[in-house]
Amino acid sequence: MSSYYDIDAILTDAQKVLCTFELTVPGLGYIDGNEGGDMKQGTKVELPLWLGEMLAVSQNISSSPLITLDLPTALAPRVLNALKADPRTVDLRALAPHFYALSARMLELFEDDELVEVLTETFKARSASIADQAHNPRGALGDGADFLRGLDENERQLFRAAHDSSKAVKAWMADLKKG
Amino acid sequence: MALPLPPGLTPPEVAFLCEMELVTVIPRQRLDGLELLGGPTPPLTPPLRANLPLWLALLLKRQRRCNILAPPWLHPASLTSILETETEHSKAAFSPAPKLPPKSLSSSSQLTLSPPFLPSSTADSRADALPFHWMEMGELLLSGAADDIADADLVRRLLRDLREVRMAKVRAGVEVLDAGGGVQMNGVGGMEVAEGRAFIGGVVDGLRRIGASREQVKREREAEERERGLANTADDDYDAMDL
Repeated sequence: MSSYYDIDAILTDAQKVLCTFELTVPGLGYIDGNEGGDMKQGTKVELPLWLGEMLAVSQNISSSPLITLDLPTALAPRVLNALKADPRTVDLRALAPHFYALSARMLELFEDDELVEVLTETFKARSASIADQAHNPRGALGDGADFLRGLDENERQLFRAAHDSSKAVKAWMADLKKG
Repeated sequence: MALPLPPGLTPPEVAFLCEMELVTVIPRQRLDGLELLGGPTPPLTPPLRANLPLWLALLLKRQRRCNILAPPWLHPASLTSILETETEHSKAAFSPAPKLPPKSLSSSSQLTLSPPFLPSSTADSRADALPFHWMEMGELLLSGAADDIADADLVRRLLRDLREVRMAKVRAGVEVLDAGGGVQMNGVGGMEVAEGRAFIGGVVDGLRRIGASREQVKREREAEERERGLANTADDDYDAMDL
């Protein structure tokens, strides 16, 4: 589990997931834009992950859970098919700024071997591209710009790590020449 | 509070370690042996070669008191052949590190020398393999003693090429990484490890996070199987515990 103060973990929990209400809740309609009304049974709303998880997991002994969770739109089959086809062209940041962290959290709730498989392959393929872009001094400006804009937060950190370490070696070499 | 430095060594630190490597010098002036923390240095007598730590050799070189004999692997011919091995013969693997010398029977000391403590850059080192500190040693010698190296510009270019080829291989290794698996890194130099550490560590970490749920399931299943196995072979296990 990540640290309590980890800002990335907090932001991950704030991302929306698709929830379906299994019960009618009086007076909760304002979430769905229905001021003063009731939340009808079967309504689909997007709730933050922390709230959705709490409501879905906690349940009374007698009754069914209040809501059921669905995979967020960022992990919809359409997206997974696109990732299978070509991981590099998908704009993960537009789907979810913390795409991998969100996926990891969803995988804690759902067991889905295929999803793990697709995400692992995606991450590997994209990491290789990230490394190439990070070492290419004009990568961030040239044709790689679109790809780099679509990196999620985790991948951005990777890019920074790769870029910084190669920069450190270059700085050391330049230092050596100077003195 | 996070440490300001990333884990692992920074390039200047790797270069500092490299300066302990022995190199061969041809002294121009007489100098008695020095009692250094790393051990005594041999006394220098002008026409005779001696092995000194790199930092001392560079210091004397700067004062024009000695010339440095470049290690055999730093010659253009050997670098070209190593580069050829890297690009032609073993496209996936790195060119192997120098072999360990045969263990001499006469010195029956308990000290077994391994790469950081073996002279790998002296005049009698092997010409066909890159030692652990090849990149740092090459750069330091090129900046501090370029006039002692045959065809320094060509050597500089070859070192740059080698670095590119090998870093590309380090990066390509990421594609075969697995959450629990490893990547073959035999023959990778110290500076290359320092350069690749942050990125490769990040990738492994990310893969581990994605695969965490599957790992959890697997672990639970294993624990379950172990319990069931325990129930079946309870007697055997009690025997094992007695031992």
